[in-house]
Amino acid sequence: MREDRVSLFPKIITILVLIFLMAPLLVIVLASFSPTVLVVFPPKGFSLEWYANIFDSSTNFVSGFGNSMKVALIATAIDIVLGVTAALAVSRYKFRGKNMLIAFFTSPMYVPSIAFAFVLLRIFSMIGGIPAFLRILLGHTVIIIPYIIRNTIAVLAGYNWLLEDAAASLTASPYQTFMKVTLPLIKPGILAGALLSFLYSFDEAVLGSLLSSPKFITLPIRIMNYMEFSFDPTLAAISTLLILMSLTSIVLMERLIGLDMFLK
Amino acid sequence: MSQKRNLFFLSFPTTFALLVMFAAPMLYILIHTLREDGLTYFVKFLTDSFYLNILKTTVSIALRTTGILLLLGYPTAYFLARTKSKLKNTMMIIILFPFLVSAVVRSYGWMVILGNKGLLNQFLLALGLIDTPLKIMYTSNAVIIGLVHLLLPYMILSITGVIQGIDKNLEYAAASLGCNPLRAFFKVLLPLSIPGIISGCTLVFTLSMTAYVTPRLLGGANFRMMSTMVFQEVNVNFNWGLASAISYILMFVILLFLVIFNFATAGINQRVGGQKNA
Repeated sequence: MREDRVSLFPKIITILVLIFLMAPLLVIVLASFSPTVLVVFPPKGFSLEWYANIFDSSTNFVSGFGNSMKVALIATAIDIVLGVTAALAVSRYKFRGKNMLIAFFTSPMYVPSIAFAFVLLRIFSMIGGIPAFLRILLGHTVIIIPYIIRNTIAVLAGYNWLLEDAAASLTASPYQTFMKVTLPLIKPGILAGALLSFLYSFDEAVLGSLLSSPKFITLPIRIMNYMEFSFDPTLAAISTLLILMSLTSIVLMERLIGLDMFLK
Repeated sequence: MSQKRNLFFLSFPTTFALLVMFAAPMLYILIHTLREDGLTYFVKFLTDSFYLNILKTTVSIALRTTGILLLLGYPTAYFLARTKSKLKNTMMIIILFPFLVSAVVRSYGWMVILGNKGLLNQFLLALGLIDTPLKIMYTSNAVIIGLVHLLLPYMILSITGVIQGIDKNLEYAAASLGCNPLRAFFKVLLPLSIPGIISGCTLVFTLSMTAYVTPRLLGGANFRMMSTMVFQEVNVNFNWGLASAISYILMFVILLFLVIFNFATAGINQRVGGQKNA
């Protein structure tokens, strides 16, 4: 009895928080089917014209989607290699300066994106001639490294290194040991972290704002630019598709390793 | 021997990549700025009340956001950590899901809700609670609402993890020794969950100080925070020297707050430790 009373206040706040968190997302999904330019509630009908509008070439959302996809996929692929090797180094071995190395690996997290974006802008303007795709790719490759490294370190913290000794005693080479023993066991955790980093890069809008060029613009910047000229539910339609993408990702992550990965 | 070699080969690529693509540029542009303009723009920023006010706004927004996040996040985290409900996983998904949605999309959602002709105003007007639409969009309130929405998952997750690690029996023990729930909370649970509170607050404070999309979209052109100011100096005023100064000052201010938080943590830990011994 007493317990129930104690947990009533947190319960009420939790319910309010859940409503608050879902409200703008639900509103977006609702707005995307609005038959009128001004979103009203209750809606005066149902329309799919805004979804058709996404694919209208004048909005450039499709090319923006392709650009963001390209950057996010390549940056994540590069960082899986860089991040996993770095995490293995600091997890597997004991050495002096280990904490400093970890701090260095995760340092991009503590620098404001806008400052890093601006620094890259100046560097690239000094060098000149580097296409926007590569500029944004380089920036994203740097800013998502810490997330992959931290996640892999957390995954490796639960890994039993004696398994490697066992494999070695059964005459497996270090390469074989990694490929056949270590990697299969840590793969789900790494994939979940990679998915998170992919989304971070895909949705990133600060480096994108400063480093894109008229020829190469990522999706979040396309959406922000569109907002400045018109505020119709095409924005809601494209946003709904992005929300669906995130929902799919979170279900995938839950299946891969469960959601407790976020509680560390 | 071979261990040293492995360590080198494993850590070298990332170290090299970060040195070339991150550390060197950050340092080079700082030196370049100082060489080209000396301290001119730093002095200009720190002596002009227009710019100082932008810094003040940024810190004030970040502090207010952090405070609200703590008030909303702590009870939610407590509930999540202690609930045995079958819906826990669903609740976790609802909390994590916005976390994975672009800040641009989430800000857009708030624009539809908070705008002059937005859903909130339509609703309040229809109910007759107000006669003229409330002006929320393009004010600091809109920015704070957007930031709270953006950062709630970070705060909740930071604290939930820590509370889950606190033995529930300690709360029972406090109750059986005659503590009322409120006193048990302040004497037992709160001190033990301080590490989570500190890490959560540090994280969301830093992220609100550096947020760019939310203040740009919900604050509008006349609402200035440090990050939107950098963008404005680059793209509107073409003053790269000043943009540099603002970027590095922002970094420095954040660093300063991190150091202060760190000292505060050390102090609190000492006090909590002292109480335990007493």
